[in-house]
Amino acid sequence: MENSQILTYLLFTPIIGAVIILFMKESQTVLIKIFGLLISLFAFAVSLYPYFNFDYTNPDFQFIHKVLWIESLDISYHVGADGISVLLILLTTFITPITLLSSWKAIDKKIKLFTMMMLLLEAGMIGVFMALDVFLFYIFWEAMLIPMYFIIGIWGGEQRIYASVKFFIYTMLGSLLMLVAIIWLTVAASKNIGLYTTNLILLYQQAPNIMLDIQKWLFLAFFFSFAIKVPLFPLHTWLPDAHVQAPTAGSVILAGVLLKMGTYGLIRFNLPLFPQSTVEFAPFISILAIIGIIYGALVAMVQTDMKKLVAYSSVSHLGFVVLGIFALTFESVQGAVIQMVNHGLSTGALFLLVGIIYERTHKREIAYYGGIAKLVPLFAIALMFASLSSIGLPGLNGFIGEFLILLGAFQSQVLDSWWYVVFAATGVIFAAVYLLWMYQRVVFGTVTNEKLNTELTDLNAREIIVLVPIFIFIVWIGIYPTTFLDLSEAPVSAILEHVKNYTFNFLY
Amino acid sequence: MINEILNSITFIYPELAVSIFLLIIVLVDLVFHKDKKYIPYISLAGLVITGILVLNQIGITHFAFVPQLSAVKKYGMMTIDPFGSYFKLLVVVTSILIIFFTIASEEVIDLKERLGEFHALIYGMILGMLVMISASDLILIYLSLELLSLSSYVLAGFLKLRERSSEASLKYVIYGSVSSGLMLFGISIIYGLTGSTNLYVINSLIQGPQINLFTLSFSSILMFVGIGYKISAAPFHFWTPDVYEGAPISITAYLSVASKAAGFALLIRFIQTGFTSFISEDGYWTLIAVFDWQALLIAISILTMTLGNFSALWQDNLKRMLAYSSIAHAGYILLGIAVLSNQGLIAVLIYFFVYMLMNIGAFYVVMLISNKTGSENIDDYDGLGAKAPFLGVALAIFLISLTGLPPTAGFIAKLYLFIALIDANMIVVAIIALLNTVVSLYYYVRVLKHMYLTKSEREQENITPSIGSLVYLLVLLIPILFFGIYFTPIVEFARSCVSLLGI
Amino acid sequence: MSIYDVIFYLFAILTIGSGYLVVTSKNIVHSAFYLLFTLFGVAGLYVLLAADFIAIVQLMVYVGGILILLLFGVMLTNKVTDVKIRTGTIHIIPAVIGTGLLMGVIVSMMLRTNWKSEPGELPFTTTYGLGRILLTDYVLVFELLAMLLLIALIGAASIARRDNE
Repeated sequence: MENSQILTYLLFTPIIGAVIILFMKESQTVLIKIFGLLISLFAFAVSLYPYFNFDYTNPDFQFIHKVLWIESLDISYHVGADGISVLLILLTTFITPITLLSSWKAIDKKIKLFTMMMLLLEAGMIGVFMALDVFLFYIFWEAMLIPMYFIIGIWGGEQRIYASVKFFIYTMLGSLLMLVAIIWLTVAASKNIGLYTTNLILLYQQAPNIMLDIQKWLFLAFFFSFAIKVPLFPLHTWLPDAHVQAPTAGSVILAGVLLKMGTYGLIRFNLPLFPQSTVEFAPFISILAIIGIIYGALVAMVQTDMKKLVAYSSVSHLGFVVLGIFALTFESVQGAVIQMVNHGLSTGALFLLVGIIYERTHKREIAYYGGIAKLVPLFAIALMFASLSSIGLPGLNGFIGEFLILLGAFQSQVLDSWWYVVFAATGVIFAAVYLLWMYQRVVFGTVTNEKLNTELTDLNAREIIVLVPIFIFIVWIGIYPTTFLDLSEAPVSAILEHVKNYTFNFLY
Repeated sequence: MINEILNSITFIYPELAVSIFLLIIVLVDLVFHKDKKYIPYISLAGLVITGILVLNQIGITHFAFVPQLSAVKKYGMMTIDPFGSYFKLLVVVTSILIIFFTIASEEVIDLKERLGEFHALIYGMILGMLVMISASDLILIYLSLELLSLSSYVLAGFLKLRERSSEASLKYVIYGSVSSGLMLFGISIIYGLTGSTNLYVINSLIQGPQINLFTLSFSSILMFVGIGYKISAAPFHFWTPDVYEGAPISITAYLSVASKAAGFALLIRFIQTGFTSFISEDGYWTLIAVFDWQALLIAISILTMTLGNFSALWQDNLKRMLAYSSIAHAGYILLGIAVLSNQGLIAVLIYFFVYMLMNIGAFYVVMLISNKTGSENIDDYDGLGAKAPFLGVALAIFLISLTGLPPTAGFIAKLYLFIALIDANMIVVAIIALLNTVVSLYYYVRVLKHMYLTKSEREQENITPSIGSLVYLLVLLIPILFFGIYFTPIVEFARSCVSLLGI
Repeated sequence: MSIYDVIFYLFAILTIGSGYLVVTSKNIVHSAFYLLFTLFGVAGLYVLLAADFIAIVQLMVYVGGILILLLFGVMLTNKVTDVKIRTGTIHIIPAVIGTGLLMGVIVSMMLRTNWKSEPGELPFTTTYGLGRILLTDYVLVFELLAMLLLIALIGAASIARRDNE
C-alpha cells in the first residue's frame, strides 16, 4: 500500500484522454463525445480502486506516490489520499461523466475543445484533492482555472464574457494570495527546521510551531483564498454571475466540485496547519458562515431566475459546511464532509434539471412557467426529488449533513453558544421556503403560458440515465450514510485530535 | 604598463569581437553596396562568436584595465565576473533572437537598402551594453550609456517616414539627454566628494566620517535618474510608451529586453560595488549607512509596477500595452533588487531570462499578425484563435507566462521573486506586488478574450506562419513550458552566476 | 575680493547672461550669436581652473567649429531670419517651484559639502599629462570614444539620408 501509483494513473487518465482528443478530427463529433464519456467513465472505474482498497482504520494518507521534482526547494510530486480525499475524488469522477452526458445536445459548437476542457478540468480537480505537496496543490489549483474560464467564456450565456473574466479575476486574486501564503508558510517553517520543504505532511508538524503572530496572518491569507472559492459571504459575488452564465455542465461542475475545493482546503490546510488560529477565529468565521446561510437563503427567495436561485442556495448551503468545519467537533466536521458530497449531488441535480428545461424553452424565468406538472410529469417528479434533497428532508441526503452539522455545532466548545445553531437552523427553514415556493410556481397551477404546450417535452432516456445515478446516491446517503461517513471518520478524528493537541490549554 | 593593457585585452574578447564585427559590417556595407543581403548573416556570425567568447568567460572573476598611474592600483575599470557574464550572455542571446526577428518583420520596408546602418547601430548598442555590464568606473559607465543611447535613438526613429517614429525618436533624445545630463552631474559630484571615479575606491572612501551625507544622497539620486531612465522606472518612464509604439517592433522588443537588462546589471553593480560593506552568510547585503537604497528602490518599484499596470489597462494598441506591461515588469524586477540579498539577485537573474523569452515571443506574434493585418489594434485580434490556431496558442502561452501563471516559466520567475521578498520579511510589499499581478491579469486576459471569446465581425483569411516563424516560436515556447515544469537547471545556472566581484 | 574672484564673476555673469538671452531671443540668428558668448565664458572659466587644454578645445571646437557651422546652417536656410520663434513660458508656477527647489538643494549642497581637495602644485601645462593618461590608464575609454564617434557618424548619415517615396 505504501507506494501505490494508482492515484497517478487516475490523475493521468483524463489528461491522456484530452491529448488523444487533441489529435482527433473536429468533425467527428459523435466519436469525440463517446470517447470523452468513456474516458471519464474509465476514470470513475479507476477511482473505485482506492475506495475498495481503503484501510478505514488508518487516519494517514494512503496510496502515496512521491517523486522528487525540484531538489533545491524540496518540491516533489507527492500525492496520496485519506478518507476525505477519496470521497471527494469519487464525487469528481462521478459528476464528470454525468455532465458530459448531460451536455450531449446542449453543447453544439467546438465539441472537441469542450470535451478536452472538461477532461483537463477533471484532472485538475482530482489533482487538488490528492496533492500532498503545497506547491503541487497550488499548480493544480491554478491549472483548473483556465479550462473553467474557457468553459464559461465560450459556451456560456449572453453575459458569458463578463462572467468569465469576473470569475477569473476573483479566483485569481484568491489563488495569488494563497501563493504568497504558501511561500510565507514554507519560508517561516524552514526557519524553524532549517530546511526548506513544501511537503505537506512535514509542514503539519512544523507549521503549528510558527510564531503565533505570523500564524495568524498565514491563517487569514489561506482562509481568504479558500473563502473566495467556497464562496463565503461577503466574497460570494462572483458566484451568481458565473453560475448563471455558465453552460449547464459548467454550473454542475462548479457547484458540484469546484466549490468543494474551498472547503476541502479549509480542512486540509487551515485546521491542521494553524490549530491555534483556527480556534481563535472559529467564532468569527462561524458568524460569517451563518450570515452567508441566511443571506443566501433570503436572496434566493426573491430571485426570479431559476438558475440564480439555485446559485444563491449554494451560498447558503456552503455556509453550513463552513459552520460545520469551524464548530470543530467530530459530528460537525463529519457532517461538513458529507454535506460537501450532498451539496454536489443535490445542487448538481437542480442545475441539471434547470438546464434540461432551459434547453427546451431557452427561458430561465420562473414567471415564464407554471403548471408544467401535467405537461412533463417525470420532470416534475425529478425536480421535486432534487428540491427535497436540497431542503434536507429526513430520509434524503441533505438531512444527514445538516443534522450532523447542527448537532455538532450545538455541542461545540469552541463556539460555546446555542445561538449559532438557532440562526443556522433558520437557514433550513428558509431553504424549504424558497425551493418549495419556486417549485409551486413552476410546477403547480394551471398552464398560463401557451407556448409551453408546444415547447415542453418530458425527460428523454438520456436525461433519465443522467439523473438516476444521482438520485440513487441521494437516497443511499439519506438512508445508510455509514458507507460514506466511515470513510472520513479516521482522518476527521485525527485532524481534530491534532487541533486539540495544540490548543488543549484553552477552550477544550 | 603595456603588460597590464595587453593582459586586460584577454578579458574583453567579447567586446573586441563586437567592435571588430561592427567595423566589418560597416566595411561590407561600403564595399558591396549593391548587394547587402549577406549583412544579417555576418552579424549573426559575429554574435555567435561573441556568445562563445562570453561562455568562455563564465566562471572567471578578474579586474581588467587597472590604472597604473593612480594611487590605488588594485581595482580595474572593468570587472569580469559571473554576474556580468550572465547578463552579457543574455544580451547576446537577445540580439541573436532580434536579428531573426528583424528578418521576419516586414515593417521596415526599405530595410534592404539600409541593412548596413541597421546592423551597425545594433552592434553599437551591443557594444554599449556589454561594456556597461562590466564597467566599474563612472567614466566608463557614462560613456557606455551614451553609446547605447545614441544607437537606440537612431534605431527608434528608423522608420523615418512614419510620423510616430520620428516623434518617438525625438522624445527619446530629449528625455535621454536630460537624464544623462543629470547623471553626469551626479558623477561629477561623486568625484568631487571622493576624488575617484572607481566604484571600489568610492566604496571605501564613503565609509569615512567626513563624507557629507546630503550631498552623497543627492548625487546617488542623480545617478539613479540616469539608470532609471534606461530601465524605464517610474517616474522616468514617460518616454517608454511613445518610443515603444513608434519604434520598429523589432527594436521595441530589443529595447524592452536587452537595454533594460544592461540597465539593471548596471544598477545592481552600482549598488553592490559602490554601497555594500559586506554580505552576510545567508546572502543579505549590508549597505553602508549613507543612503537608504532599500526605501528608494521599494518606493520606485511599487510606483513603477502600479503605474505600468494601471496604464496598460486602457490600451487598445497591443504594442503600447506591451510597452506598459514591460514597465510593470521593470517594477517587479526592481523589487528583486530592493531585497538586497543574493536570493533577490537570483530571482532577478531568473526573471530576466524568462522575461526575455516571453516578451520577445509576445512581440514576435504581434509582429507576425501585424505583417498580415497591418494593425496592432486589439479589435483586430477578434477570433484570432480560430483563424491562426498556432499563433493564438503561442500568444496565449506568452501572455499567461507574462502574467505569471503555472505551468509557465513566468510563474517560476514570480515564485522566486516572492520567495526572496518573503524571506526578507517584506510581506506587505509582496502583497502589493500580488495585487498588481491581478491587475495585470486583467489586461492580459483581455487579449485572450478577444482571441478566443469574441467573434470577428469581418471575414479574414487564415494566417499561417512560415516554417521559420514556427521554429522561432517553438524555440521560445519550449523553454517557457519546460522551465515552467522543471526549473532546476535555470535556477542552478542563476545560482552559479550570482557572485559579483566584491571588495 | 582678489583679482581672481573678479575675473571669475565676470566670466560667470557673461555665461549666464548670454545664456539667458539665447533662450529668450526671438531671432534665431541673435540666439546663435549669444551662444558664442556663453561658450566663450565657459572657456574662460576653464582657464581660471588651470585647465588650459580644455579651454582651448572649448574655444576651437565649440566656438570655432560647431557654432560657425550652426551659423552657416541658419544663414543658408531661406527666410530663417524672419521666422519668429516662440519663446513663451508655460506651466510657470510648477517650473518655478521645481527649479527653485533644485537650486536650493544645489546651493545648500555647495555650501555644506566638504569637497575633496588634494594639495599640490598646479601643473604648468595639462596637455602632456592628459595625453599620457588617455593612452595608458584610460585607453579603453579612449577607444570606446572612437567607437562612439563612429556610431554617431553612422547615425547621422542614417538620419540625414534622403528617403524614397
